[in-house]
Amino acid sequence: MQKIIQNNIKGIAIALMVLGIVSCSKDDVNLNELDETIFVRHKKADMPAYIHGNAAEKVFLIILHGGPGGNGLWYRVNSIRTEIERNNAVVYFDQRGHNNAQGNYSEKEVSIDIMAEDVVALAKVIKAKYGEGSKLFLMGHSWGGTLGPATLLKNQDLFSGYINVAGAHDPKGLYAAYRTNLPRVANEQIALGNTVAYWKNILDVVQNSDATNSLTAFSKLNIASHQGEQKLEADKVINASKADYGDDQPSNNLSKIRWNSAQIQDMLVVEQGLFQKVTFTDSLAEITIPSLVLWGKYDLVVPTVFAQEAFDNLGANEKELFIFEKSAHSPMLNEPDLFSAKVIAFINRHK
Amino acid sequence: MKQYTIIFLFVYAVHFQAQSQFDGATFLERTAFKIGYHGNVFSDNGLHLGAEYLWKEKIRVKEKRKGPKTITHQLLFNGSIGYVTNFTNRTDNGLHTHYGLIWRRTSPKRWQWNLEVNPLGYYRSFLPETFEVKGDEVSKVQFPGRSYYAPSVAIGIGRNRPEKRRSGWYLNLNCTLRIPYNAGTLPTFSVQYGHRFNFKKK
Repeated sequence: MQKIIQNNIKGIAIALMVLGIVSCSKDDVNLNELDETIFVRHKKADMPAYIHGNAAEKVFLIILHGGPGGNGLWYRVNSIRTEIERNNAVVYFDQRGHNNAQGNYSEKEVSIDIMAEDVVALAKVIKAKYGEGSKLFLMGHSWGGTLGPATLLKNQDLFSGYINVAGAHDPKGLYAAYRTNLPRVANEQIALGNTVAYWKNILDVVQNSDATNSLTAFSKLNIASHQGEQKLEADKVINASKADYGDDQPSNNLSKIRWNSAQIQDMLVVEQGLFQKVTFTDSLAEITIPSLVLWGKYDLVVPTVFAQEAFDNLGANEKELFIFEKSAHSPMLNEPDLFSAKVIAFINRHK
Repeated sequence: MKQYTIIFLFVYAVHFQAQSQFDGATFLERTAFKIGYHGNVFSDNGLHLGAEYLWKEKIRVKEKRKGPKTITHQLLFNGSIGYVTNFTNRTDNGLHTHYGLIWRRTSPKRWQWNLEVNPLGYYRSFLPETFEVKGDEVSKVQFPGRSYYAPSVAIGIGRNRPEKRRSGWYLNLNCTLRIPYNAGTLPTFSVQYGHRFNFKKK
């Protein structure tokens, strides 16, 4: 046996090398069922992009997660995983400082401006890896809807369309909107006899809230808005939230997620005054690529008034607004089938 | 930072070797090796290997009614290396190595308390396919990953099996820092469970 090996050592080595090269070749990637994790290195940060789904037509939907403090794979849920991934590939991206993104940079290098550049960098990487002809769509949910316009204002030529899902294009305006929206919803629910004591308390909370948009005042009403959505769900005003990850339950390091969330929130929300200083309302007119605006009728976190504002201000000739009647801030959890139908129709129309 | 860590590790290794020649006992007689699980069970899992070299030992015998009670306090040099990965998201692969001291108390019934302080530590993350973007240039990164200074502390329990080849087990709760991580420091928490063994001549 030893002799046979010695005599054929060169042949075996060459065969192994060929096998190695073949096994590493790009052809191995099944574009119909992509399942890849790549990292984007940009401005001292390494950020993961989890790419799943059908890339046969080289159509990619990049999802910008909410927060600040969320993470990419939380969105690989329900019909996004089962329907949208069947139509096109979906790129779940951990933004700078979030979840599994790592790096070595100063606090000054955490800003909406640099984070928008990161998303542009991600788009360039996808085009470099899968081909310049790849069609990219950008979807921003909540805080991702702040980063979305910031990205498109840097370079919208990279994208074939923008999907704004309850996006906070005007974080600075949220506080004033809470003070109007919460009493409106509270009165509506009291009239319906739903959880009356809770909504009466909300009326008091808003009544006693400071007219000035400070971080403390904002946080109080933001928490009230999140809790209010839970009450609406309990009273069956909206559909129950469903988060089905199938066999792909994200197994992230929870302590790392929480730690990173706290750090990034401290920088963007506390230090940089995200909810006191930032607005993209006046710049939305510069976004001219086809746009789809999706919102839950009972969104208390980014009130539904911003849906119309986004639609009216976007500069695209081809734009559409759709309101989910039984949803709050996350229609992909409340009405997943309708959500994916709307997204798929938009992508297929503009790809 | 990387250079300083390497110099520290080198000086430490020389010091470590010098100590082993300090008295009559051989290096192997004073050293226990260890192997075990390292991770947080839910997401990141891996293995670690290491060695503990007995530096100082104080044995106190208390006379009790039921007979003498022996309590041992030890100071040991500690060195370990390990690899941890997240099998599902492929983003949390890393090699770590730690060097420091262990204080250990062993009760008459062989139960042990461990307190481990490792001021010297290094963590190297290994990333999957990575692309660097500079302006419009996109290039593939060779050997992608990052290096971190990674000191750690651990506290735990264990049990000693004197005169046995497999000389005991330990269960530690470990906290390791990765510095600098993003715009600050990342603390990571993990469990270490393993067994010690030795190559003492019987």
